[in-house]
Amino acid sequence: MTAPAIRLSGLRKNFGASEIIRGVDLDIRRGERHAIIGPNGAGKSTLFHLISARLPVSAGVIELKGENVIGLKPFEINRKGLSRSFQITNIFHNLSVFENLRCAVLWSLGYRYSFWHRLAGLTDARLRADAVMEDIGLAKRRDTPAGILSYAEQRALEIGITIASGADVILLDEPTAGMSRSETDDAVALIRRVTEGKTLVMVEHDMGVVFGLADRISVLVYGQIIATDAPAAIRCNAAVQEAYLGTGSHLGHQP
Amino acid sequence: MFRRGRLLLWGACLALAVALPLVFKSGFMLSLLCQIGIMVVFALSYNMLLGQTGLLSFGHAVYFGIGAFISMHTLNMIGKDGGPLVVALLPLVGGLAGLLAGVVLGWVTTKKAGTTFAMISLGIGELVAACALMFPGLFGGEGGISGNRVVGTGSLLGFTWGPQVEMYGLIVAWAFVATVAMFALTQTPLGRMANAVRDNPERAEFVGYDTQRVRYLMLILSGLFAGVAGGLTALNYEIVTAETLNAHTSGVVLLMTFVGGIGFFYGPIIGAILVTVMQIVIGGMTQAWLLYFGLFFLFMVLMAPGGIASVIAMQRNLWQAGLFRRMVPHYLAVALPILVLLAGLVGLIEMTYALLAGEGVGAGDTATKVMGMQLQLASMEPWAIALAITVAGVALTRWIGGRTRAAWNETLATLHGDRT
Repeated sequence: MTAPAIRLSGLRKNFGASEIIRGVDLDIRRGERHAIIGPNGAGKSTLFHLISARLPVSAGVIELKGENVIGLKPFEINRKGLSRSFQITNIFHNLSVFENLRCAVLWSLGYRYSFWHRLAGLTDARLRADAVMEDIGLAKRRDTPAGILSYAEQRALEIGITIASGADVILLDEPTAGMSRSETDDAVALIRRVTEGKTLVMVEHDMGVVFGLADRISVLVYGQIIATDAPAAIRCNAAVQEAYLGTGSHLGHQP
Repeated sequence: MFRRGRLLLWGACLALAVALPLVFKSGFMLSLLCQIGIMVVFALSYNMLLGQTGLLSFGHAVYFGIGAFISMHTLNMIGKDGGPLVVALLPLVGGLAGLLAGVVLGWVTTKKAGTTFAMISLGIGELVAACALMFPGLFGGEGGISGNRVVGTGSLLGFTWGPQVEMYGLIVAWAFVATVAMFALTQTPLGRMANAVRDNPERAEFVGYDTQRVRYLMLILSGLFAGVAGGLTALNYEIVTAETLNAHTSGVVLLMTFVGGIGFFYGPIIGAILVTVMQIVIGGMTQAWLLYFGLFFLFMVLMAPGGIASVIAMQRNLWQAGLFRRMVPHYLAVALPILVLLAGLVGLIEMTYALLAGEGVGAGDTATKVMGMQLQLASMEPWAIALAITVAGVALTRWIGGRTRAAWNETLATLHGDRT
C-alpha cells in the first residue's frame, strides 16, 4: 500500500484572529484528478498556498508521498516532485516563452546553479522545453517575450511551466479563470493531456470543467471540507446543495 | 555561444582597443583609455547584479576597493622577488580578494532582495569605508598606500609594465578576458536563472530554485570581476586610496551602468566609456562638471530610462524596418534647439559658479571666461543674454520636440503595425 500523494491532517491556518483553514483532513490518492470547489472565500487558494509552502501552516501535518513536508521551503517541496500554478499568472515576463520553459526544467535535469555549462549545449533541456512548448500549443510563439502574450497564451504558459519539470503531483489554481468558452475547452483538453498518469489537484470555479475532469471532488466551505466524493455523489449531496445558495440548482444545471 | 557574427564583433572590438593608442598618442589620451578599460570591467560586474539579477547595490565599490588594496599589498609584499609575470597576474589576486569579500559580505546582503538588499549594501559600503579610515595601517589612511608596478629586473616578452602604453596593453588583455567571461556567464544555467529571479523570484522558487542562493552566487562572481578591476586600478595608478571603496565610487558605477543601459550586456560598456570621458574631459574644462554630470543623469533617467543601449536597439529596429530614414530629419531638427538650450544653460551655470565659488581666485569674482568669451559678471548684460538664450531654447525645444515626439509615435505605430 503506497502512501497517498498528499495527506492533510488537522490542517489549520489563521491570519491573526481570523481562522481561514479550520482543521482540514484530506487524502489525495495517487494518480487521481481531484477538484476542490467551494464558495468564494472558502479558503481554496489558501489551502494551495499551505500545501506548496507559499504560506506557513499554523497547525497540522502535510505529507507528500508519505513524507512530512511541514517547514520545508517552496523550492524544497518542488524538488520533491510537487509543482503548482497560480491563479494570477506568475511567469517570467521579460524572458521568451522558450526561456520560461527552459528555466522550469533546469533544476529537475540536474543543472542546479551551474555556471560551467553552456545553455545552448544542453540538448536535453532544449528538447524538453520544446516538447512542452509543443504540448501547450505555443511553438509558434517560441521567441516572444512572455509579458506580451495574450491572456489565454499566458495561462497556457503558466500550465507549461508547472508541468515542465516532470513533477508527478500537480496543483492547478483556477487554470481556466477568465477564459472564454472555447479557450476553456482547449485548456481542459490540455490539462487532461499533460496530467496523464499524474496526480492532479485543482481549484476551479467552472463546474463544467470540474465535473468533466475530476475523479473526485472535495467541497470546502468556511475552511472545512464538508464532503469528498465522486462527482455524481457530490451533485446529490444535501450538505453541498445547502452550501451552494441553499439549493441544488447551481450544480444541477451543469453536465 | 560564439556564432560567427558575434565572433567578428568581439574581434573588431579587441582590434579597436589595441589600435587606439596608435592613433591617440598623447599621455592624456592614454591615461583616459586606461581608465575606460578599468571602468568597463567594473561596470559590467555591477550589471551582473543590477541588470541580470535585479539587485540594486549602493556598495559595489567595496569589492572594487578590496581588490585594489589587496593587490597593492601583494605587490609591495612581493617586492624584488617578483617579476613582470607576477605583476601581470596581480589582477587575479584582486579578483580572488573580491570573490572572498563577496563570500563573506554577500552572505549577509543577499538574504533579501529589493529595498532591503539596497539598504544593506549601503550599510556595508559605509561600514567598510569607515574601516578604511579607522585602520590606517591596512588602508593607508587619507593618503592611501602606494607601490611600484615595475618590480625585479627582467621582462615578460619584453614588457616591464613601466611605460603607460604597456600598462594599457595589460588592461586591454584583462578587460577582454573578463568581458568574455562575464558574457559567457549570461549563457549558463546560473546566468539564466538570475534573470528568472530578477523577473519573478516567487516563481523561481516554485521551479526548484533557492532565490537566495542564486543571488548569493551572482554577488560572489560579481565581486570577483569587480576585484579584477580593482587590481587593475592599483597597478595603473600605483596608489590606492580609501576613495576606491567609498560611496562616491559606488555611485559612479551605478550611474555608468544605468546610463549605458542595464537591459543589454553591452550597455555598461557604453556607459563606462561615456561617463569616464565626461568625467575626465568635462572635468578638465570646468570645475562645475559634477553639476553637468547630475543634469545629464537626470535627463537620461527621464528621457531614456532604458539607457543608451536601449536607444541604440530602438534605432536598429527602425533601421531594419526601413523606418530610420524617416526619423533622421526630425532628429536633426530637434538637435538645434537642444544645443541652443544647452548653450544658455552652460552660460548661466558657469557665471553663477564663477560668482559663488570664485573659481579658486576667491569668491565674488567679477569676470569669467565662458566658451572663450570674457564676461563681466557685475553687469546685467551677460546674465540677460544667457537667460534669453535659455528661455528661447526651452520654448524652441518644446515646440519642435513636440513635433518630433509626434513623428516618433507615428513611426512606432507603423513599426508595430508592420509586425502584427
